[in-house]
Amino acid sequence: MRTSLPGYVAIGRMQARTVMRYRVDYGAGLVRLLFQILLLRVVWEGLYAGRTMVDGISFSLTITYLTLGNLQNWLFSPWIFSLIPERVRDGLVGIDLTRPVGFLGQVVASQLGRTAAMAPFAVVALPFASFVGGAQPSTSPAAIIAYVVSLALGYCVITILSVLVGLITFWTLELEGLFLIYRMAVQFLSGALVPLWFMPDALRIVVEVLPLQAVMHTPTAIYLGRIHSGDVAIAMAVQALWVVVLWFAARLVWSRAIRRMIVQGG
Amino acid sequence: MIRALRMWAILARAALRAEMQHRVHFFFGLLGGLAVQGMGLVFIATILTRFGDLGGWTFQEILLLYGMRLTAHALWVIPFASLFQITHVVRSAEFDRYLVRPLNPLIQLMTRRMAIVTIGHLIGGVAILAAGMVRSGVVWTPVNVLLLIAALAGGALTEMSLQLALASLAFRLHSATELMLTLDSVFNSFGNYPIKIFGPVARWGLTTVFPLAFAAYFPATVLLDRTDELWVLPWIAAAAPAVGVILAALAYLFWRAQIRYYSSSGN
Repeated sequence: MRTSLPGYVAIGRMQARTVMRYRVDYGAGLVRLLFQILLLRVVWEGLYAGRTMVDGISFSLTITYLTLGNLQNWLFSPWIFSLIPERVRDGLVGIDLTRPVGFLGQVVASQLGRTAAMAPFAVVALPFASFVGGAQPSTSPAAIIAYVVSLALGYCVITILSVLVGLITFWTLELEGLFLIYRMAVQFLSGALVPLWFMPDALRIVVEVLPLQAVMHTPTAIYLGRIHSGDVAIAMAVQALWVVVLWFAARLVWSRAIRRMIVQGG
Repeated sequence: MIRALRMWAILARAALRAEMQHRVHFFFGLLGGLAVQGMGLVFIATILTRFGDLGGWTFQEILLLYGMRLTAHALWVIPFASLFQITHVVRSAEFDRYLVRPLNPLIQLMTRRMAIVTIGHLIGGVAILAAGMVRSGVVWTPVNVLLLIAALAGGALTEMSLQLALASLAFRLHSATELMLTLDSVFNSFGNYPIKIFGPVARWGLTTVFPLAFAAYFPATVLLDRTDELWVLPWIAAAAPAVGVILAALAYLFWRAQIRYYSSSGN
């Protein structure tokens, strides 16, 4: 692991450079994100219809949750799929496999590089997002620290999950439609459109046993003090459990995928 | 005109056949299109289950509006999906070829590829529209049916016009796709809601500068007998399909004027 670290860093840096090259596209993506946040704001304003509280939850709390959550989801960019589909389609996966570092590690390193390059965009977007959406300070400094830890765990969950979904490409080659379904599932099941506390009970129970709520809902709810301090540790343990389970699942699928591999155009 | 339509039909069928070569790709493309529309609907169903109404609109009424918008969207995007590739087509000088062949360049661009996802949009849109038609309580007199059909065509033309105008910018700016995707996302997110909830500034903006209100919301208020809530005269709302036709003519003239600025990147 130690010896291959420079290799992973180089791959991450390569990916970061790609983001900078396409900065106009990413900038436009941010504008779309701001529209999305604005839409959520006006729709939720319409739903609150002048009430300050619904089920004991203020409008400002709900809109902060949605603003922060959507910005996080944008930064995590789960729909860029860890590059696997693109590499498989173009046959470049053959080159990737000859590199002296593991393939899954390369994919994760790319994703980290991309996120690092996108982070400044997210920082610039934060005040705009707070303006069109809303922002409310966290309840306590302890909650902010817990938020950062939980956000990192959420990032691990979504990154590994995207690798797992991306690996399907080894069986199917390009599947634009499947990724669209995944992207929509991430949006809804992570809580980025409807906070979990406003979902009907039957739906909420389903969402709570799925991994996607660990991506956005858990950190955001911790930030806003919606998870009581006693339960914060449990929520994070659930996130950590998902990281481990998904990582083993990804290893397992990868060990099968490599036997199925076709290098196109070789 | 008739020849152009026939050529379009032949080329579109060929492009569709190319997409259908890979069955799994085709099937998941359809499902993907359905997922996009399905998620928007699940969102509205979830919030209205909890809150009852949005700006006075019930779920059943929003269902009709949503179905109209999606169907109109599918009607524009199925034939015009390749328009989103304009940046690539201009930059790679692929447009050179369109200019030397004896067929309208726009039709050649349109039939460059078919996007299967858009057929999923149509299936989803029609299903939601049918549910909305049954459950919204509108009495489907011949006049209402005609208004609905005209509204779908007008909505498709309105959206097409704005996108075609943006695509035309690619000849001079060498870049239009990102702008078009942004417009698309605005249409797909804001267009599905009763526009009155957006507040006075956005209402007027979405009526004049950026006429999204004409795409589905205005005709839906006429069908649902909700024109009292409008900020324009009811007859303007009922005339929405005509607005689509006028915009389409203007957009096409703009496209024709902008083609002259095309300069090949050469090779």
